[in-house]
Amino acid sequence: MTSINRRDFFKFVGAGGAGAGAGYLYAELVKRPQELLVPQVVPPEDYSPGLATWYNTVCNQCSGGCGISVRIREGEAKKIEGNPVHPVNQGRLCALGQSGLNALYNPDRLKTPLRNNNEGRFQGIEWEEAIDELAQKLNESRARRQSDRVQLLTGNIRGHVNGLIGHFMEWVGVASHMQYDFTRPANLYEANQLTFGQSMLPYYDIRNTHYLLSFGADYLGTWLSPVHNSLGYGHLRQGQTEKRGTCIQVEPRMSLSGANADEWLPAVPGSEGSLALGIANVIANGHYTGADQAEWANALTTYTPSNIARLTGISEVDIERIAEEFFTNASLAIAGGAATAGTEGVATHIAVNALNYLAGNIGQKGGVIFNSDPGFAQTSTFEHANYQQMITLAEKMKNNEVDILILHDTNPIFSMPSSSNFQEAMENVPLVVALSGFMDETTAMADLILPTDNYLESWGDDVPEPAVGFSVASISQPVVSRLYDTRSLGDILIDTARMMGTEVSWDSTEAYIQDVWSRIYAQQGGDPSGFDNFWRSALEAGVWGQETASTNQGSTVKPFPVNQLSDVSNKLEGDESEYPFVLHPYLTLTFLDGRGANLPWQQELPDPLTSVVYNSWVELNPGTAVELGVKEGDVLEVTSPSGTIRAPAFIYEAIRPDVVAMPIGQGHEQYGRYAEQRGVNPIDLVVPNFDQRSGALAWAGTRVKILKTGERVLLIKTDGITRTLGRQILGPSEAEHG
Amino acid sequence: MLSVHNRPPKIQAIAKQEFREGVRVNVSVLEALKPLRKSALLGIIGIVGIVVGLKINAAYSTHLKPVQPIEFSHRIHAGENQIECLYCHSSADRSPSAGVPSVAKCVGCHERIATVRDSAEIAKLNAYWQAQEPIPWIKVHDVPDFVHFTHKRHVLAGLECQQCHGPVETMDRIERVADLTMPWCTDCHTLNQTDNGLDCYTCHK
Repeated sequence: MTSINRRDFFKFVGAGGAGAGAGYLYAELVKRPQELLVPQVVPPEDYSPGLATWYNTVCNQCSGGCGISVRIREGEAKKIEGNPVHPVNQGRLCALGQSGLNALYNPDRLKTPLRNNNEGRFQGIEWEEAIDELAQKLNESRARRQSDRVQLLTGNIRGHVNGLIGHFMEWVGVASHMQYDFTRPANLYEANQLTFGQSMLPYYDIRNTHYLLSFGADYLGTWLSPVHNSLGYGHLRQGQTEKRGTCIQVEPRMSLSGANADEWLPAVPGSEGSLALGIANVIANGHYTGADQAEWANALTTYTPSNIARLTGISEVDIERIAEEFFTNASLAIAGGAATAGTEGVATHIAVNALNYLAGNIGQKGGVIFNSDPGFAQTSTFEHANYQQMITLAEKMKNNEVDILILHDTNPIFSMPSSSNFQEAMENVPLVVALSGFMDETTAMADLILPTDNYLESWGDDVPEPAVGFSVASISQPVVSRLYDTRSLGDILIDTARMMGTEVSWDSTEAYIQDVWSRIYAQQGGDPSGFDNFWRSALEAGVWGQETASTNQGSTVKPFPVNQLSDVSNKLEGDESEYPFVLHPYLTLTFLDGRGANLPWQQELPDPLTSVVYNSWVELNPGTAVELGVKEGDVLEVTSPSGTIRAPAFIYEAIRPDVVAMPIGQGHEQYGRYAEQRGVNPIDLVVPNFDQRSGALAWAGTRVKILKTGERVLLIKTDGITRTLGRQILGPSEAEHG
Repeated sequence: MLSVHNRPPKIQAIAKQEFREGVRVNVSVLEALKPLRKSALLGIIGIVGIVVGLKINAAYSTHLKPVQPIEFSHRIHAGENQIECLYCHSSADRSPSAGVPSVAKCVGCHERIATVRDSAEIAKLNAYWQAQEPIPWIKVHDVPDFVHFTHKRHVLAGLECQQCHGPVETMDRIERVADLTMPWCTDCHTLNQTDNGLDCYTCHK
């Protein structure tokens, strides 16, 4: 080795130094960043770090009334599951219910009271100031004795919070409280009132029926109480010892329930009620032996199988076969969805009720079971607003007959056709106060916004409807403390009334609910000293009530008012030559009427039948698509007599060639970052007709035409193609015999 | 494998030439290494440097013994005053996490201890309490998120806290003595013949 010279020496020192530096930095780099260990200042009750506690409350994502258990760790909600002891959902929960966390932690929640500064901007204000402003305006109105010029408009609120609202109306002078919910089956309520004299929903015992005939009711997806229905469906298929139940689905576009049925009958849209009466005709003339047989046969003379086959496109043979099967099996007929959202929705429901009556399903196990009395009075100081009443309200607002409009949890601007001009009418109201959790289209019109709690943060109670065959109630409790500076609806009402100088004996919604329940407890014969125990156990269990043998079997069935049967052919708006297709808007189990569109988990959830994510689409039959030269992703212009929207095409095998279907829920202009500017709202195409008897919007009674725009987009979907390409995944022989 | 003989004639010729020249190449490699000896030495010094760097980092770094927002002394509390570990870390025997006492718990005692009530560190505590803010303690014992460690199992198995946390009752400022790496865990699990102690799913789930 040669000697080390000066230059080498410097090289060695450099190498050593660089190495040491690199080593030091490397050690720094691989260190995990320091974390903090942050204790509670004052720990909440039964809190221990690292341990989860499950609290029971009630889901509020749709009106099914499922019981939920929420997993809480370190005071934060981590997961929502079904409450195993709640009879509605029995431990199960749907995707929308799971997404409740997305609503709780949504970054677009309203976090502080806001005032519109008249330049279209909202400014944060203090609660005191906001409540004071509302109280002042209400005081002025009360001084003028103009309680009819104050309108309270809320979404579907159940339970005794309505009682508190009733008190508030009395205290401050509000004459009217309307509840508007697009998903409320108004036609079904009306039909049940007319035929059974009960405007409550009966229990449809899908679980124990052997033969389920559904006219457009997507009972597995969106109809009434989907989780409970799905449980029933599981039992119907696999749990019954006598027989594997049969499901028949009548609808022009295959829904989730259609895809799970044994038979899918795509009757002409709008003729579902006629089909029901056709089946009823066969039963009345060959099977039914009741005392009023002649009356029935007489009322149904025109609904012969041949006539009905021509009208509905379902063959005579099928009609007669279904009639026989329906009569001889323990059967159940239900109706819903687009089939009952026409101009004759009530008539269609009555026709289906008639089927149940003729087959002897009323009050039977596996049939239609009426609910026993819940055992305590429920308040009804409100009315359910149907579409017609909403139009009347819009007229009133337009004519400056409303001074103050108080909104809560309802979005009529989105769920009413734009041609109903609700938005324009609202502009005429001097003071619009929105008690909302989110900035939706309707809230954005408000002058004053009071942010409300998420349902996981508030008190309430609920009597599920449809019930489960016996009386049940659940008390909902806050499972987390408030994340933001929000208040519950009841608390805002109490605060406002106090600000106006009213003596209010309850300090909060909690106190009110507890008071109501102490009275119910006393009414049930409970010992007053035991109330605390009762209250604690009711909150702990999340449900109150006992299963009783309440099927009114054997009790006399009231005769069916045959004279209520009427013309069931729904009127379709639009000239067939100009508008060749029938628009079939449908509720999705991801968004319902659009309320779920701000939940990112729901946006990510592929539609169960088309597998499309994130967008709106127009479903076309493959034959129709070939005829029009349309391929998947072609942007179509869908035009009705009421308006035009654009959405990409999706080729769907299970839809009638003369029908185009569009999912409801997307197309929000406001409602937070996850919902805005995504897809279109097919309700805007609906010509605002309504059912004469119930006043409900006929949202499935519009014809449309389709134009190819030449634009193309890539539809985001998880499916490849629906054909098997000879891969023998499901051969015809397997499908038939398997 | 292709042998030289299986190749087409032309390629065979080239391959043979390569083979012959290879001998010469080998000889020249040794010669070429001579001037590289200095560079090799340079490399060795560099590597030694890296090791020294790592050691310096380990010796002077404070991440095993960070300065806390309040100079809390375990020596005084657990050592001199003989307070049970579980009195403050109260969920260690029933939860994955041992827990740190709430500010309310600290204040609850210190309100009543006149001798130290006005000391600088207690003043800090009172400041947190008055502001109703939590004390941002710096975590000393931490395992990565993919490790499902639970205090409950270990405490119920009869382990002394000191077995992992060291002689806490002698420390003025809390310090990590165990390296909390996987071999450190599995050594103990092996030695004590823990049930399923070496099953992946016991800790990684």
